[in-house]
Amino acid sequence: MIYADKDTEILVQGATGSQGAFHINLMNQYAKEVGGRGVVAGMTPGKGGQQVHGVPVYNTVWSAMDHHDIGASVIFVPAGGCGDAIMEAADARIPTVVVITEHIPVHDVMRAISYARTCGTKVIGPNCPGFLIPGECKLGITPTNLCRKGDIGVISRSGTLTYEVISELSLAGFGQSGIIGIGGDPIIGQTFSDVMDVFVADGKTRATVLIGEVGGNLEIRGAKRAACLGMPVVAYIAGISAPKEKRMGHAGAIVEGGESDAASKIERLKDLGIPVATRPSEIPLLVKEVI
Amino acid sequence: MKFREYEAKKIFRDAGIPVPNSELITRAGEATSAQARVADKVVLKAQVDVGGRGKAGGILPATEENISEVAKELFGKTIKGLPVELVLVEEALEIQHEYYLSITIDRSAKMPVILFSEEGGVEIETLAKEQPDALHRAFIDPCFTDVPDFIMRNVLGSAPKSIGPVINALYHVYCKTDAILAEINPLVMTPKGVIAADGKIVLDDNALDRQGISENRDLTPREAEAEKHGFSYVELGGDIGVIGNGAGLTMATLDIIAHYNGQAANFLDVGGGAGFERVARAVRLVASMPGVKVIVVNLLGGITRCDEVARGIIDAGVPQQVIVRLAGTNEAEGRRLLEEKGYLMLDTMDQAIRAAVEVANK
Repeated sequence: MIYADKDTEILVQGATGSQGAFHINLMNQYAKEVGGRGVVAGMTPGKGGQQVHGVPVYNTVWSAMDHHDIGASVIFVPAGGCGDAIMEAADARIPTVVVITEHIPVHDVMRAISYARTCGTKVIGPNCPGFLIPGECKLGITPTNLCRKGDIGVISRSGTLTYEVISELSLAGFGQSGIIGIGGDPIIGQTFSDVMDVFVADGKTRATVLIGEVGGNLEIRGAKRAACLGMPVVAYIAGISAPKEKRMGHAGAIVEGGESDAASKIERLKDLGIPVATRPSEIPLLVKEVI
Repeated sequence: MKFREYEAKKIFRDAGIPVPNSELITRAGEATSAQARVADKVVLKAQVDVGGRGKAGGILPATEENISEVAKELFGKTIKGLPVELVLVEEALEIQHEYYLSITIDRSAKMPVILFSEEGGVEIETLAKEQPDALHRAFIDPCFTDVPDFIMRNVLGSAPKSIGPVINALYHVYCKTDAILAEINPLVMTPKGVIAADGKIVLDDNALDRQGISENRDLTPREAEAEKHGFSYVELGGDIGVIGNGAGLTMATLDIIAHYNGQAANFLDVGGGAGFERVARAVRLVASMPGVKVIVVNLLGGITRCDEVARGIIDAGVPQQVIVRLAGTNEAEGRRLLEEKGYLMLDTMDQAIRAAVEVANK
């Protein structure tokens, strides 16, 4: 299982907001298509008793837990309250929490992720599209029409770039075992290495596409982890033309000097023997070579 | 957003971190009287938003005799392109030893990290490279409200214990101001005890609201305008306007423009979930930059809906040609709307970007 499967009962925090409600509907359409459980409960403080697309809404995460066997939560709560929402989910011991929200203050994220770890909760994101396991489940906002079921794992710091890559992979006939957006912020819960472990443990992934960008060193750590685990990897790093010191949209995408720019990351990945695509459309060709 | 030295020092003083006596002046004529109130020997420090100010001549010592000339000299300077408009008149310290202290974010540990060195007054990047052992690092669980003793012992090494309370107070400042960096360099030992001789605080831009800051003064006017509407916007100087959604896809768009020998003028990331009004505003903003010949819109709908994007592009009605690539949520409806109006629609980002580069290079 890659974080969740058909049988996972999903909670949505921030269920009554426009994004929450819109995506509860899309997640459940996909659940219906693949015969999964989907979103069974919503949660918004003060809105308990309402329904969103037929899904009952609760005031607290604990009260949702009293009525459902929640295996994962997807959070659409606005930035200011989002750190708190993550901690509430962790406090209720939900095993996996996916955080879609962007612009959360980084101190809130650090505290929430630290607290979640003490609760045994895995946080995916924030500022991510969540994940899609083709044929099993969708937790987040990834468009399902682009993917197809298969054995290539995709791990990415960027939402829309992920969609680009899966559409290229699908067109080339490579289905996906799991598509995991880990988020574009400087502090994120699950990293490339963590997801690599999950893909390997699941045993259904033949090769992994790692989509990174300028800033930090998570890509290198992920690539080293993959080498340890014997998982073939293809990489793409966005931001080769990124000017220094400019924040390129993502809070985490800033060239900090040293080794966090795209060129030196690409260099180090190549040193590790990993093929690096110069643009997304090259990825399927490189995948073909490693498997 | 960066706080300037005098702002950081005010926050330090309020948090119980010893700082030198000082007064902020806005013209040279105020220097003599400020000096009389501050100390016999002072240093004049230009308050400009650049690093390496000392080496660029932005910090000058002065005495009662020469202070008005020194002040005039400093106010007449530009430091790395910035005119000196504010000067801190600060008591000169009797320095026995200099330390380096900062608290920042460690991405891998996902926690605040304290950096401390008994070699202060240096560029920390240089120190980290040349003498990695001289830089003590310790992570603090963000759930802690104080720096625990065991961490303090590791951080201080053989340095005086009297620095401990400064480290703890700086941690409080770091948390309370939503800082991504709080730095004292140098932290100096004087006969009167330990004092923060310089200070720097960089705030998390995502927390400016709750810090009561309404305007991020680090941004250029156009960037500020973009930020007011929640866009990420960067100006690059070429002739192709770029609109994308998602930082990664937008960055990849720039990379492919470069690959086809085009030059991006700017880029704007509309962010997640943009409605048609936001998209229209984004298109107008990118088009308003002088020199933009063509605009490429590369959008993959997830949380953003393609039909909203299409309505926004049509509503903007800018004079430049807009080349569009849309895919994802509500794609069919979005494409139908644009095709009706005769926009050039291409299926892949490679095709759309290549077409835009061709138009720009014509």
